[in-house]
Amino acid sequence: MNLENEHSAPEADKTSSTESVSPPRPASFFQERPPQVMEVAPQVLRHWTRRDVLLFGAGAVAAVAAGGALLPQAALKRLGIIHENKSWPRKEWLLNRSLRLDDDVAEALYSIDRLVPTYSKSQITPLKNNYNGATPDPSYIPEWRLTLDGLASGLSVSLNIQNLLASFQLHEQITRLVCVEGWSAIAWWAGLRLDDLLRAYPPISQGKWVRLESSVNLGPWGNPDPYYVSLDLSTARHQQTLLATHLNGKPLTVEHGAPLRLIAPVKLGLKNIKAVTRITYRKDEPADYWAKRGYSCYDGI
Amino acid sequence: MPHSTHLGEVIATRMPEGQSGVCVVRRHHLLVRCSHWLNVPILLGLILSGLSIYWASPVYKHKPDLLNGNVDPLADVGIWICAHVPGLDHYSSPADWVYNHISLGPGMLAVALRLHWLCAYLFMLNGLVFVIGSAMGGGWRSLLPRGADLREAFKMFRYYLGVSLAKLRRRSWMHPRFNTKYNPLQRLAYFSIPVAGLLSVLTGWAIHKPIQLYWLTWIFGGYDKARIWHFWLMWIFILFVVPHVILVLADGWDTLRSMIVGWSTRTERSEDFSQ
Repeated sequence: MNLENEHSAPEADKTSSTESVSPPRPASFFQERPPQVMEVAPQVLRHWTRRDVLLFGAGAVAAVAAGGALLPQAALKRLGIIHENKSWPRKEWLLNRSLRLDDDVAEALYSIDRLVPTYSKSQITPLKNNYNGATPDPSYIPEWRLTLDGLASGLSVSLNIQNLLASFQLHEQITRLVCVEGWSAIAWWAGLRLDDLLRAYPPISQGKWVRLESSVNLGPWGNPDPYYVSLDLSTARHQQTLLATHLNGKPLTVEHGAPLRLIAPVKLGLKNIKAVTRITYRKDEPADYWAKRGYSCYDGI
Repeated sequence: MPHSTHLGEVIATRMPEGQSGVCVVRRHHLLVRCSHWLNVPILLGLILSGLSIYWASPVYKHKPDLLNGNVDPLADVGIWICAHVPGLDHYSSPADWVYNHISLGPGMLAVALRLHWLCAYLFMLNGLVFVIGSAMGGGWRSLLPRGADLREAFKMFRYYLGVSLAKLRRRSWMHPRFNTKYNPLQRLAYFSIPVAGLLSVLTGWAIHKPIQLYWLTWIFGGYDKARIWHFWLMWIFILFVVPHVILVLADGWDTLRSMIVGWSTRTERSEDFSQ
């Protein structure tokens, strides 16, 4: 094929010839190239085929075995592949590793200076009571106190809601609460900044973590089941991380964690602990209620 | 068929002196082949775990059923199946039947999320393998849509619709002639899939990090809409795979083999499939 024909050839082919259609020669970088043909001895071709089919077949068997092993035990039991519970430490290690990797990515994306999008009052949506267990009886509210531990002063501080409302400025924000289950709600919160509390009662100097606990939390049958979350100090110092006292302009109801709950819109809803009774500053990462149940630890969104 | 004049040059000869060999044409780069097959377990893992995640908070709901309080259409399907399929009348949780068979099962959110992240990172890595392979082999050029593709793809669609009927009636049914690696319908499908893969990754990040990547979430119309995008993109893969597998099997061993070994003995490009 010569280069002079390059532009006219495809047009001519369409009209005249049906026996031999020329593929267009590449006229641009994006144009499809003609096929590369090679002549190979039949025995060589058979050898290549055998080699590649065996290699890809071995890969497929390995992928089925590895993929199958990664399925949860309940699914494998339902499929009739296993009949009793087995423990595979390596599988757990791999799956947890991917969870940690994802947490590391979330941490890398986080910036203390990046503000969370806020909404207008017309965009507010209903917020459901998502207490995992039973909703606590409101009788705890009158005696409620917030205890602070792990302070630089070495003391333990106990505050009631009047102390908090009197000593700290309240900030309002309309932000989205995103649940790990996939639903979300836009809600209008007001409360004090956790950062302000941190300034008023500084943590120990090596402190990197905050543990927030609710001793009034209940399990599904109304049994006491304290709820606790871990929060990195950088998220705690974000200006939109609130200890909320109000929802929709009214003091929090028992369903939403009266009298004080955490609102950290940069985290999944499960970190937004209700009815906080104790805040402890720590050097090491504290345990987390849902992380213990197989969810991630950092939960940044 | 006349010996073609348009094969391009025979680029390599691995022939002993005086013997004639088989002409083969390169079709798929090794990395493209690897990423193609790796998609099978990865997508399966993503779909199984993804449906479990979806079920933690379904988007498509109806008013609560008066009898059982159920709101999910797929739970209705499960209840119907268990009531009407012989042998399933004692199934312990009919509302879970569909999810038990197409996902990891209900109440598996933590497990499903872990598996979904693992598969999602592997899917992104695999996408990278595909991009590198297509760049090295130059195969990406064969996927790019052309001007007349939509019209020409319709011709192929009509061919596929009529071909089985024509075979039954022993009539001839001409395969449209194309001188490109893929016919326009294939090209449309094979181009759409990497695009759908990319959109799945982007919508996935949009719902995974709606605060830090709020601009990405905004592009897809907000958090709730991005979830719906992500959900329907899954169906594109499922709807693609069914005809894809049927057509490869119908097309024969050479096509299937070419995705394993990388070459094809079909060196002609304007093939005539008339029978």
